[in-house]
Formats: sequence, C-alpha cells, structure tokens
Amino acid sequence: MNPTETDLRDDASPAITEAHGDAHHAAHGHGSPGDQMFGFVIFLLSESVIFFSFFAGYIVYKTTAQTWLPEGVLGLEVREPAINTVILVSSSFTIYLAERYLHIKQLWGFRAFWLLTIAMGSYFLYGQAIEWSHLAFGFTDGVFGGTFYLLTGFHGLHVFAGVLLQLIMLVRSFIPGNYDRGEFGVASTSLFWHFVDVIWIILFLLIYIWQ
Amino acid sequence: MPGAPNDWQRFFSFSTDHKVIGIQYLVTSFFFFLVGGIFAMIIRGELITPESDLVDRTVYNAMFTMHGTVMLFLWTFPCLLGLGNYLVPLMIGARDMAFPRLNAIAFWMVPVFGTILMASFLVPGGPAQAGWWAYPPVSLQNPTGNLINGQMLWLLAVAISGVSSIMGAVNFVTTIARMRAPGMTWFRMPVFVWTVLAAQIIQLFGLPALTAGAVMLLLDLTVGTTFFDPAKGGDPVLFQHFFWFYSHPAVYVIILPIFGIFSEVLPVYARKPLFGYKVVAISSLIITGLSAIVWVHHMFASGTPGWMRMVFMATTMLISVPTGIKVFAWVATIWGGKLRLSTAMLFALGGLVMFVFSGITGIMLAAVPVDIHVNNTYFVVGHFHYVIYGAVVMGIYAAIYHWFPKMTGRMYSEGLGKLHFALTFIGTNLNFFPMHPLGLQGMPRRVASYDPEFTFWNVVASLGAFLLGMSTLPFILNMIGSWVQGEKAPKNPWRAIGLEWLLSSPPTVENFEELPIVVSEPYGYGKSDPLVSNPDELEVAHEPN
Amino acid sequence: MKIRTILTLGTLVIALALISWWMGEQSYTWFPPQASAESQLIDRLFSFLVAIGTFIFLGVVGTIVYVALFQQAGKYDTSDGPHIEGNVTLEVVWTAIPFILVVGIAAYSYHIYDRISILGPMEHVHGSMAHNMASETPAIAPVSTEANDSNAIVKSEVVIAVKSRQWAWEFYYPDRQVTTAELHLPADQRISLQLTSEDVIHGFYVPAFRVKQDIIPGRAITLKFTPIREGRYRLRDSQYSGTYFAAMQADVVVESDDSYQQWLTDAANQKPTAAYNQAFDEFQRSPGGRIGWQTVQPAPPPLVNYPGKGTS
Repeated sequence: MNPTETDLRDDASPAITEAHGDAHHAAHGHGSPGDQMFGFVIFLLSESVIFFSFFAGYIVYKTTAQTWLPEGVLGLEVREPAINTVILVSSSFTIYLAERYLHIKQLWGFRAFWLLTIAMGSYFLYGQAIEWSHLAFGFTDGVFGGTFYLLTGFHGLHVFAGVLLQLIMLVRSFIPGNYDRGEFGVASTSLFWHFVDVIWIILFLLIYIWQ
Repeated sequence: MPGAPNDWQRFFSFSTDHKVIGIQYLVTSFFFFLVGGIFAMIIRGELITPESDLVDRTVYNAMFTMHGTVMLFLWTFPCLLGLGNYLVPLMIGARDMAFPRLNAIAFWMVPVFGTILMASFLVPGGPAQAGWWAYPPVSLQNPTGNLINGQMLWLLAVAISGVSSIMGAVNFVTTIARMRAPGMTWFRMPVFVWTVLAAQIIQLFGLPALTAGAVMLLLDLTVGTTFFDPAKGGDPVLFQHFFWFYSHPAVYVIILPIFGIFSEVLPVYARKPLFGYKVVAISSLIITGLSAIVWVHHMFASGTPGWMRMVFMATTMLISVPTGIKVFAWVATIWGGKLRLSTAMLFALGGLVMFVFSGITGIMLAAVPVDIHVNNTYFVVGHFHYVIYGAVVMGIYAAIYHWFPKMTGRMYSEGLGKLHFALTFIGTNLNFFPMHPLGLQGMPRRVASYDPEFTFWNVVASLGAFLLGMSTLPFILNMIGSWVQGEKAPKNPWRAIGLEWLLSSPPTVENFEELPIVVSEPYGYGKSDPLVSNPDELEVAHEPN
Repeated sequence: MKIRTILTLGTLVIALALISWWMGEQSYTWFPPQASAESQLIDRLFSFLVAIGTFIFLGVVGTIVYVALFQQAGKYDTSDGPHIEGNVTLEVVWTAIPFILVVGIAAYSYHIYDRISILGPMEHVHGSMAHNMASETPAIAPVSTEANDSNAIVKSEVVIAVKSRQWAWEFYYPDRQVTTAELHLPADQRISLQLTSEDVIHGFYVPAFRVKQDIIPGRAITLKFTPIREGRYRLRDSQYSGTYFAAMQADVVVESDDSYQQWLTDAANQKPTAAYNQAFDEFQRSPGGRIGWQTVQPAPPPLVNYPGKGTS
C-alpha cells in the first residue's frame, strides 16, 4: 500500500467510499439506490417546510383573527375524524409489517399487508370526503374556512399520492425480478406514508383538538 | 468538441450531461439577463425626467415588477445553477450529478416558466404590476376581473420556478454529500462547492415557505379564499412573513456561490493559497443558519412590534460577522501575492470592492432607526444593486471568464474583456451610487414620477444605466467570437489547482475515465504537492486535434 | 525597519480616522432638514455609522488597491507567492473585532431607538402588544423635547386622523371637525396620528421627519412624533400601492401654535370643496388616451374644508 491509500482511509467518511462504489451508476440516468434514498429524504424534509408554513399561518390566524369561526359554526365534530386518525395511524404499522415481509422475501405476506394499507388509506380519503360534504362552511368563509380546507386538502392530496404510489408498487411486485436491484420503491413509498401520517397527527392536534 | 459545426445541436436537446445542462442554464439565463436589462432601460428612461412621460404608469409598474422577477428567477438563480452544474461534479471528481435526468427536467422548466412569464404581456390587463414582492392587497386587485391575468401567470411561473429549484437543490445536496471522489473529504472540497452546498440548503428550507405563501395568494386571487384580504378578515402582513422568510435568504442563495467564485479566482491569480480555508468554508454554513432568522428586517416599517424589531436588528448585525471574516480572508489571500490582473481577476477584485460598500450600507439598514427613514427608498435599491450587480453580476463575469477556456476549449480576448470590465465597473457605480443620496433625501422606490429636487442624481443614474447596457456588447462579442474562433485552450491555461484543470478543455462526456484519488488540500499554491495520485489515468490518452 | 512600519501604520490609521470623522460630519448634509425631534437622533446614529463605515471601507479597499497596484507579478514571473494557509491569531482578531463592533452598533442603535420610543406615553402600551397589535404598534414615537426640560409644561397631544386610499391623503382634525388635504401641524408639540387605510397598504413617510409607518388596512395604527422646525415639507406614500403610487403625495406644513390655531379656525369656517388630486386628475384627463393597461380607478378627490395650497 502506498501512503496515498492509507491517507484516504484515514480521512474518508463512509459516504465517500460508498460514493466511489456508486459512481458508475451516475452516468446512466439515475443515481444509486443509496443516493436516491438520500435525495428522497431531503426532499421530504423540504416538503415538510410547506406544511410547517401552513401550520404557522394557521396558528397566527387562530390567535390573532378578529372573527375566527364563520357565523353559525360552533366548531368541528371530532368523533369521526378521530376514527379516521386511528385508521391512518394504524396503517403506518401495516405498511411496516408489509415491509418486514418483503425483507424476508415473503411476497404474499407483503402484498396482503400492503393491500390492507391501501384500503386503510382509501378509507381515510373516503372519511375525509364525507366530512367535507357535511360541513356547514366553505373555503371562502373567512380565514378559518380557508385554512381548514387548505390544510386538510393539501394533506389529502398527499394521502392520495401515497395511495397511488402504493398501487404502483403493488402492481410492480408481480414483475419477476423486481427486487433484484433493491427495494427503493417500496422503502420510499413507506417512508412517504410515515411522513404523511406524522403530518396528519400534528394537523389533527392543531385543527380538531385545539379548538 | 463544442463549437464544432456538427455538435451544437446537443445544446438544444434533452441532454443529461451536467456540462451541457450547465451551458444551457448559462445561455438561457443570459438571454433573460438581456430581457431584464431592457426592462431596466425603460425604467431608467422614464426616470431621466421627473414627470411620468415615457410610458404609462401601468407600463412602468409592470416594468419594475418584471425587471425584478426576471433578474432573480430567470437570470441570477439559473445562471448560478448553470455554473454549479458545470463545476461541482468536476470539482469533486464525479462523472455527473447524482440524478442527471432530474437535472435535465429541472433545467427545461426554466424556459417553460420564462415563457409563461413573458406570455403575461399578451393577456388583457398586462403583466403583474404589484412589484416582485407581490404584496397583497395590491396583488389581489386584478382590475380586469379575468381569471387569467398577469398576477396569476406570475404566481404560476414562480411556483414552477420553485419546483425546479427544489429539484436542483435535492440534486446538488445529494451530489455533494455522496458523489465525491476517493480522498475528496469535506475539508478538501473547493470553497465554491461549500458555498453551493450552503446555498442549496437554503433553497430546501426556505423556498417551501414562499411556495406556501404563493399558493395561498393564488387561491385568494382565483377561487376567492380570504387569507390575505383585509376586507374579509385576512392578514396581508402574514404574506410578508412568508415572502421574506424565503426571499431574504434567497439573496444568500445568490451571493454565497459568488463568495465561492471569489475564493476560487483570487488564489489562482494571486498565486497564493486561500487564507483561512476552513474558516471560509464553515462560515458559509453559519451564514446559511443565520439567514433563516433575519427576515423581519424587511418589515421594520410594516407594523412590527418593537421587541421584534430589536431581535431582528441583532440577528441581522450578527450575520455580518461571518461575511466580514470572508472579506478579510480574501484580502489576506491577495496580500503579498504575485498578482496577474486578467479579466477574471479584475472582475473578482471589482466585485469585492463593491461588495464591501454594500456590506457597509447593509449595516446601516440593519440599524432600526436609520432603516425607518430609508426603508422603501432608493437607498435600499442602491444597497441591493451594489450586492446584486456590484458583487453578483461582477462575480458571475469573473467566473465566466475564468472557466471559459474549460467550458469551450477556447481562449477569450483579454482586450475585449478588460474593456468590458472598465465599462461595467464605471457603469455600475454611476448607476447605483446616486441611489444612495436619493434615498437619504427621501425618494421612495417604485415611483414613476418624482419631485424635481431629485432630478440631478436620477439623470446620473440613468446615464450609468445606459452605459451598463452598452457594456454587455463587448462581452457578447467576446463570447461568441472567442467560442467560434478563439485560440485553442490547453488543459490549464491559468496554472490553477483543481480537479477540473487536470482534464482536457472541454472535458469528455464522462469527465473522468478513472476517478481521481485526491491526496492533498485545495489551493496548494506555493507548494509542489500533487493534487491527485493518479493524474495520468484520469483520461484516455488521445492525440490532440 | 520595524519602528518605521509601526509609524507608517500609525500615521495611516490616524489619517483614516480623521477622514472618517470628517465623513461622519459631512453626512448631516445628506439629509432633508431636521424637522422633527426624532430626526436629530437618527442623523446622529447615521453619522456614527458613516464614520465607522468609511474607516472600514477605506481600510479594506485601500489594501486591495495597494495590492493590485504594487504587488503584481512581473511579466515573465511564473513563480508562486508564499504558501501561507492562514494565521489563527489574525483570524481570531478579525472575528472578534467585527463581533464587538456590531454588538456595539446594535447597542447604540437600541439606545437611540429607546430614546425615540420610550420618552413618552407610548411606554404604557408595551404590555398589551401580544394581544392586540392593531391598536398600538409604536413606529417612531416621539422624543418629547419638553421631557428634557423640567420647566416646560407638558402639553397634550395633538390627535389627527390620517385616512389613505388609492390615491389620496385626507386629514381629519376631530377637535374642530375639520377635513383637509394638507397636513398642518403645530411646532414643538407631540403629534399623534391615527393612520387608517381603506384599500391597500400605504406608507406614511415624511422624509424631513425621518418617520415612516406602513398603514395596514383593517388596523388603526398610531404614529407619534414631534415636529420642531417650521416650514413646508412633503408627505409621500412609501409602500407601493398600485398604478398612481408615485402621485400620492401631500404637503405638510409645520407652523407656530398661534398660526396653527388661526388656520384651524379659518378652515372650520370654510365650505367643503373638492381638493386637487393628481391621480384622479390624470385619470380623468386621459381615460381613452392612455396607452397602458387597465387600472384600478382612482378614488374621487376628497371633499375638504381646506384643499391646500399645493396643486401637485
């Protein structure tokens, strides 16, 4: 070994050695799975700032607005959304189980729990739609109406995107050799789903519990 | 070879080569620089007389709105992304960005939103006229009542620009964190890479706030929500918070890579290492951190409570410390060196001088009692343009001249370059210095007409602006002429130290045949240590053509 | 040699300091006249900043110019400069000094701000800030010149309502129920303006007073200051408010208490007439002739007891 490589080993962080191995992927259109996951995580961090901005706006409006609830509206019904919340949060566990099954190469176990997650996500969306259709106020009814629909709608859009991603991953699980090059698709969909869940918990506390 | 007649098409294709994308960014953004410049000429043409006589007031208002928007979102941002795209993979020893396809998509969104923005000239009611801050309620007024209006298209363009920037930021951060060549440790990265990293982190945490504000404004404007409409219980000041939470750090997104360019260019032409490399590198990240907590200094007169004014005055003052460290480091870098005043060096030094001036006026603006007087006057406009033209555009020119041989394989003309520098330096000062006395005298920004007492300095500024407009001509001539028939450039015409200078000019598609193994610190001027242990294996040997 | 270096440096620093001090003194002439008590304090702070800034600018830029002129490489000199990577002492010094400097500047600015805003009744409202930003928000509150002089009788505030709309200023004197298009103020008395806007955000800005406050629609914002110099000044809209933004100006007249009272009495006896309004006038003169885009229509000129002398 020449001094160069000793030098290299002393200074290099694990990321560098990894980058070395991954580098050949780069020229062919997309990064290695490790890079993809890294990129996806920072994307989610950035995405969370949009939600935090909306949350901040909500808090400012709620604490300073002269008229908060529209006329005739007393507050929000909590029971149905609470059930919805339980279902959405539970789906974080089912998607985790699905991932574990995939990890031990039990494809049918994976598909079963994956499908269950999809069902729970879809039920959440359905519950949300029902709630919206029964509300006495619209998005033009003051800043309360605006922020309520903005937050739940923007989050609902993410749930919808998550369900779509899950469907794609489900279909792709039937392609032979789909997981030969890693499980990035499933892992990132699952991470996205946890993200959507955590956002909902904050949202639920802000909108429904803190009334 | 770029410039060869059968090869130019790839610059118009969906290429995933970071070097092609880099040049695509540079050329596209320069086109929009000229567009924004024409708007500026109209603005200065109107202001050469006190009366509103050259164009209608609505046209004038559209001009300064579009001038600001184009110069930021379509010139400085994409131009610096272009430089980053071209240089970062080369500087860290990577074959491309982490996500080349994403890179190409992010670039092609630029002409798309540029077109949307320009298309707003064609809709009834004209383009947005609420300034580039788009403060409601003015931005919500929409006198035509149409759903498709200038402000709406403006918001759409800004939103697409945001998506494109986030894609770019994810790509840059991933590339820098994970694609470095063996031996390229964090503290062996050139400072330009550090500053790009610091700038792109700002994009990641700051831009979503603007997106949030823009979405809410768009909903107010189109579907009738009432977030920012005070007549219906909304809060217009909240938008200002969303806007400045991003748009102040956005200035750092622009200036940080310029700090990187200064740090690259000055050592090469002074033949000395960058003074205090680690401190300069780290201070970029400190600036990133502090930039998230200074935004309210734009709102000292917006009905901000006293305690908030004091807190943000303190943070704003504080951010000048890491910035000052950098300036002193650059001065120490050139001190005792062996300077060669090439065009790139002249631009870097000129930019540095004007940056120092803008830093001092920046401290004045941070002091709340002074700010209350000069806020929203031409003093702020002058300060900002010393930053954005004096430092940023001069820095961009320095970078373009410095890396021109690497990008094109041709040498530029020093004579034309120096003429360009002289015109730019004189024009910039002539144009933007008079704005300071105007502001102190109390001339508000964004006015189409003004009291006759302000005439003298406005005439000077307008003449300076026209000189600046002319100054781009030798540049364009130099770039096109040199690219077509300049002298062939060797690998390393400036005897610079850096991975990109070990490759042929321009580098091949894959950059490195064999990845470099980096064995020493950057900026090893005055020392003869090799930068990499395998300099001869980086490229396949081929006969020079 | 060493002594010579120290002497040279010492002379340079002293010369720089003298030039900086001179620039600081010059800076007073860059402003409009000091027509309010606040303006004296603010100009003093600015002068201080100019002096410090001049020193830093000349020091840094002088060094750069010196290096660029006298430390160039010879034509055929391809050697490198000395390999100096840094100097910890130097780096600590130039981190510490700017840090101390900005802390000092911030403290001095705070001190000035404090003198502007605390010397007066404004201090009482600080506590309620969190709950209702709308009603208080001191922008620049007054330095009461009387407060420094214990013999003076503390006079009550002169309360005037300032109404802004696209694109006209209107002033209302509630004591005499007088409406005007020109703002008259008695000298040496604390003025309390109640700022309101009917449409968009405007900004109340009188350069000669060095005061500026955005007017947020839906809020009533109080602005207090003390004019001290008689004369005619300009009020300008400082927050961009749409098409005729630049035309939204008005005259401010500071006069002695006697002539102020006389003026108020005269005005109260006049029948309301339409004041000249530049935005409205321009819009009326050329509705079809404008080669521009559609605009929000200017509000009609306000009907006032005193339309003012200025025609623009």
